[in-house]
Amino acid sequence: MSAVLSGAGSHADRIDALAAARRRSRTQRYAVYLLLGAVVAWSVEAIVVGDTDWSRISLEGVAKAAWRFIDFDASILSSLWEATLETVLMATLATLLGAVMAIPVAWLGADNISPLGRATYLFGRVLMTLSRSVHEVVWGLVFVAAVGLGALAGVLAMAVRSIGFISKTVAEAIEDVNKGPVEAMRAVGANRFQVLMFGIVPQVLPVVIGNVIFEWDVNIRRSTIMGLVGAGGLGLALHRQMASYNYGGIATVIFVILLLIVFGEVFSAWARRKVI
Amino acid sequence: MSAVAFNEAAAGRAPGRSEAGPHPLGGSVGVSADRGAPVLEVRDLRVSYTSGKEILKGISFDVGPEEFVAIIGPSGAGKSTLIRCVNRLVEPSGGRVAFNGVDLLPLDEGAMRRQRRNIGMIFQEFNLIDRLSVIDNVLTGRLGYMGNLRSLFRAYGKSDIADAVRLLDRVGLIDHMDKRADALSGGQRQRVGIARALIQAPKLLLVDEPTSALDPKISREVMGMIRGIAREFQVPVLCNIHDVDLALEFCDRIIGLQDGIKKFDGPPAQIDKAVLADIYAMEVL
Repeated sequence: MSAVLSGAGSHADRIDALAAARRRSRTQRYAVYLLLGAVVAWSVEAIVVGDTDWSRISLEGVAKAAWRFIDFDASILSSLWEATLETVLMATLATLLGAVMAIPVAWLGADNISPLGRATYLFGRVLMTLSRSVHEVVWGLVFVAAVGLGALAGVLAMAVRSIGFISKTVAEAIEDVNKGPVEAMRAVGANRFQVLMFGIVPQVLPVVIGNVIFEWDVNIRRSTIMGLVGAGGLGLALHRQMASYNYGGIATVIFVILLLIVFGEVFSAWARRKVI
Repeated sequence: MSAVAFNEAAAGRAPGRSEAGPHPLGGSVGVSADRGAPVLEVRDLRVSYTSGKEILKGISFDVGPEEFVAIIGPSGAGKSTLIRCVNRLVEPSGGRVAFNGVDLLPLDEGAMRRQRRNIGMIFQEFNLIDRLSVIDNVLTGRLGYMGNLRSLFRAYGKSDIADAVRLLDRVGLIDHMDKRADALSGGQRQRVGIARALIQAPKLLLVDEPTSALDPKISREVMGMIRGIAREFQVPVLCNIHDVDLALEFCDRIIGLQDGIKKFDGPPAQIDKAVLADIYAMEVL
C-alpha cells in the first residue's frame, strides 16, 4: 500500500511523532471513560443502594402497586373538564402576558438596539437569566404567597417564567437582523421608533410568533403542575386525588394531562407551520 | 376627526414639497433654483475608524442641480463610505457637507432626520422590507413625515397612496403592487427601491452600487431608469458604481476615488486608459 506513495518523499520522523501522539490521545480517552464509569458506580452506591428500602421491593409488591393505578376511575372524568379548560386558559393567558412583558426585555437585551448601550443591555440580560433560572414551581410558590391560592398565581408564575425564553430568542433574532432595511429606514428620515417598527420588527416577527407558540405548548405542560403549589388547574385535581389516595383517580388525571399535552403539541406544531 | 388628521398630515409634508420647484408627480414643473448654486458641497471630508485607519482623507467636490455624478474606484477606496457621509449614515470625523446651503454635520438627530427626508437613497441590496407588500415598501419613503402612531398603523394619507401608485406605474410595477416584496425578481426589487426614493420627492439622490446584485442586461435597464427619472424629476444624482462602462455611458461627470483620495474629477470624455490606470493603480491593457 504505502509503496504507492514511496516516491512522495519520506516524512518518517513526522509519521512516527503523529502515531505516538495518536496513541497518547487514545490512552487519555480510555482513562476518561474509566473515570466516568467510576463516578456513576460511586453515585449509585452512595445514593441509591444505601438509601432504598430493598425489602419493600418485590415483584409481587411492585405489580400490586402498579395495578392500583391501572384501576382507571372514570367517575371523576366529568369533573376534570373544568380543570382542563382552566389549565388551557392559564397557559394561554400566561403565554400572552409573558410575550407582552418579553418585548421590553428583548429591547433592552439586544445589544444592537439597547437604548442606553452597555448598561441597559446587561440589565436586560440579567432579567432574562432571572426569569429562566428560577423554576416555575418556585415562581408559583412566590406568587401564591403574594396573591393567594388560585389560577392568578399560576398565570403570573408561568408568565414570568416565559419572559426569559421569549425575550432571549427575540433579542438574539434582533441581533442577527439584516442591517439593510434598517439603513434604508434611517435614510428616508425615519425616527428610532419607526426604524424599529419597519427595519427590525418585520424581520423578527416569524421568530417571535414561532417561539410564542412553542412557549404556549411548554406552558400547557407547566400549568398541569402549577396546581401542586395550589395554583389551580389539572395539577390541583391531581393533588386532590393524591391526598385522598385514590390511585385510579390519579391515573385518570395523568391520562387527561397526557391527552392535553399531546393536543398542545399537535396544535402548536400546526400553528407554527401555518405562521412561518 | 379624520379630516383634521388628514389636514395635519398634509401640512406636515408641505415643507418637503413646497421648497422644490418641480413636483415629481404633479407635473407642475416650477422654476428651478438658480442654476449655478450646487445642491451638494463636500469640503475636505474625512472619515476615520476608531482604530485610527483613515477611510477618506480629505475629499472635496460639488454636485450641481441636475448633475449625474458617478464615483468610481477600486474596492475599499471609500466610495460607499463617501456616499453615506452625505446623509450621515456614516459619521464623518471632519470636513464640511452642505446640502442646499445647509451645513449637515453640526445638525442634531432630529434636524438631520428632517434633512434626510429630502435625500433619496437607492441601495446595492435594495434593502426592502421583505414581509411588506410592494406598495407598503414604497410608502415607507414617507415615514419621515409621519407621527409614531400613524406609522404604527401604516395610516398613510390618501395623497401618499396616490403618489405610490403613480410611481409604481412609472417604474412598471403597478401589477405587482400587492405582492410581497420578496416575491419579486432582483430588477423588480431595485425598481421598488427607486420608487421608494422618489416618493420622498428628493432634492438629491444617493445611489450605492445599484447594479452589483443584478445581471448585465438588468443593470443597464436599471441605470437607464435612474438616468431617465433623474432628468424627468430634475434631481441631481451621486452614484457609486464599480462598472466603469456603465458610469461612462450614463453619467455626466466622473469622480475617481483611490484609497480615500480623489484621483480624478471630470467628464466621461476625459477618461482614458491612463486615467483608469491611475485610479485603479494598475496597468489597464
